[in-house]
Amino acid sequence: MFLTVNGEKHEHSGDGTVAALLTELGATPDHTALTVNGELVFSRHWKTFKFNDGDTVEILTFVGGG
Amino acid sequence: MKTLPDWLNPEPWLNRTFSASEVRQALSAEAPDETTLAALLSPAAADFLEPMAARAQALTRRHFGRTIQLYVPLYLSSYCSGGCAYCGFAADRRTDRHALTFESAAKELDAIHAMGFEEVLLLTGERSSQADLDYLRECVRLAAHRFHNVTIEVFPMAEEEYRSLAEAGCTGVTLYQETYHPGTYDLMHRWGPKKDFFRRLEAPAQALAGGMRFAGIGALLGLADPRYDMLALYRHARYLQKTFWQAGLALSFPRIRNEEGGFIPPHPVDEKMLAQIIFAFRICLPDVPLALSTREGAAFRDGMAGLGINKMSIASKTTVGGYGGEGSKEGQFDISDARSLDEFCAMLRTKRLEPVFKNWDGVYRLTA
Amino acid sequence: MNDEQKSWRLGGHEFSSRLILGTGKFSDAATMIKAIEASGTELVTVALRRFNREKPGDDLCAPLAKLKNIRLMPNTSGAMNAKEAVRAAQLGRELSGSPFVKVEIHPNPHHLMPDAIETYLAAKELAADGFIVLPYIPADPVLAKKLEDAGCAAVMPLGSAIGSGGGLSTADMIRLIIRDSNIPVIVDAGLRAPSEAARAMEMGCAAVLVNSAIAAAGDPVAMARAFALGVETGYAARQAGLMPKSDMAVTTSPLTSFLR
Repeated sequence: MFLTVNGEKHEHSGDGTVAALLTELGATPDHTALTVNGELVFSRHWKTFKFNDGDTVEILTFVGGG
Repeated sequence: MKTLPDWLNPEPWLNRTFSASEVRQALSAEAPDETTLAALLSPAAADFLEPMAARAQALTRRHFGRTIQLYVPLYLSSYCSGGCAYCGFAADRRTDRHALTFESAAKELDAIHAMGFEEVLLLTGERSSQADLDYLRECVRLAAHRFHNVTIEVFPMAEEEYRSLAEAGCTGVTLYQETYHPGTYDLMHRWGPKKDFFRRLEAPAQALAGGMRFAGIGALLGLADPRYDMLALYRHARYLQKTFWQAGLALSFPRIRNEEGGFIPPHPVDEKMLAQIIFAFRICLPDVPLALSTREGAAFRDGMAGLGINKMSIASKTTVGGYGGEGSKEGQFDISDARSLDEFCAMLRTKRLEPVFKNWDGVYRLTA
Repeated sequence: MNDEQKSWRLGGHEFSSRLILGTGKFSDAATMIKAIEASGTELVTVALRRFNREKPGDDLCAPLAKLKNIRLMPNTSGAMNAKEAVRAAQLGRELSGSPFVKVEIHPNPHHLMPDAIETYLAAKELAADGFIVLPYIPADPVLAKKLEDAGCAAVMPLGSAIGSGGGLSTADMIRLIIRDSNIPVIVDAGLRAPSEAARAMEMGCAAVLVNSAIAAAGDPVAMARAFALGVETGYAARQAGLMPKSDMAVTTSPLTSFLR
């Protein structure tokens, strides 16, 4: 399925779970927060959550900031 | 007897002694606090009245300019169930009781307005059937039609009652704790609703929560150790400033005067001590209005005008009515400065001080 | 002075260090970690950004997780308005598990001055939602009281523009804020030298937040230590009570001769 991840087109070849996408991108789940179509998806819901074709996904992490 | 809450208790600052050099330091404190006030109220500071006066004058000019704000009291009623040992209107005093009818209140207010005042202070005794909330609300309404600033000095009330008065046009409340010393308070207030120290203490906060814009507080000097009362007054003022930061605060320094009952104050405060107190407050609360009433004599008032004091009453009557029609025979206390408004303003002008009759305009006020 | 007196409370949590560190602008994560350790701080700010596949090393979670006794305070930088800041705060809490949030909303990318109105709206909403809210604000005493009433745990007025090194150009306003505040006042932004942090503490600030002055110093780790000392010195001086400046007025004619 095709997703928009952090503003770029991304073809996801896994099973549509959060874990599959993060593995595919090389992101560490513990260090990541997620919004899908503008809505925050809490990590406690990640196990049951599935992406749909065309979803806009933002994957966020902490960087240095004052 | 309950003890004072931590935010009010002056004890930690009370029994400190201060040296002359500590007083000198307090005189130019950058961020004055309780310790500064305690130093300036200390016996050691009595030798520094002149530099304290100079500093107080400089701060008064900086924050208020060369102006003196004028106000006048109107006693609406002398009915009182209170048992204040020091008061001429106490329930056990043989005095004729009066309450202005609405018609005569309107006449009095017209007369006061015609004198040039734009601010009036309405007074009653403790809550009575002759002067209750409904009566007061109607008097406030009558005054609000004529004056920009209508304040009251009456019995303590609950927030909702204050709100109803604010909606009727009342802008401020003056309520003196009399003394912040609970034991002395209990002795002085022999019976009646005023026996409740904490109800009175809470009332200014209730008033500000109820929508009043101004609160005046003070202690009646002479009842208890003045240093105790003044340190507690400072702490009370700071508490209100921090909690109700949109409210205007004013402090007064009433000294017990002789009245017909012949009450002798257990802790008399002389003129020099009173001046020291006022200078100390001006230095510690540079932007808070400090008031002096006609309880004090002309010479003292003339000297203190602009020297810490920036708000004064004049042409006052402590009888019920007396401005427009005939007043009651006996007043709450004797006036010491009986000059007319014109005489007083002439005196202010010789000191290059401008009398101000109006300091706030109700034009934006939205009333229900 | 014992340790108990030295510690301070922020949103019900106790801290002993009065230096809060920002983690931006460091040359690398290792220097940042060393600077944090040298500063003795217990609270550091972090920002949220998109995960970057090309630069997985930018991720601060791993290095920060190794530090003991450090709480994270995500900021809302990048948010242009209250709505975006609330979203950023929620994401930050999800990621950090920390209830602390530094609300910062600066829509102008050049001077980075905080938007008082949007900051107020976001802070109010987040405080109601259980966050421990520390808003970064203009040094405005009225705004500070409104934020206190809105439930903020502290207010963080700016000393001068972010990253400017302009020092405490707002000192008079900060003094007014401190005078009437019931919550901690923390100077955030604009400090350049440890002496300025000391001065903020002498004025009565509860803490200071420093980032650029440390990250952009010649030796960030040494400067972190210097700021820790500056904060400690200023706090100790405040507790000791500064000698007032002497400006005893001398009058030519006596003012008090009327007193009997």
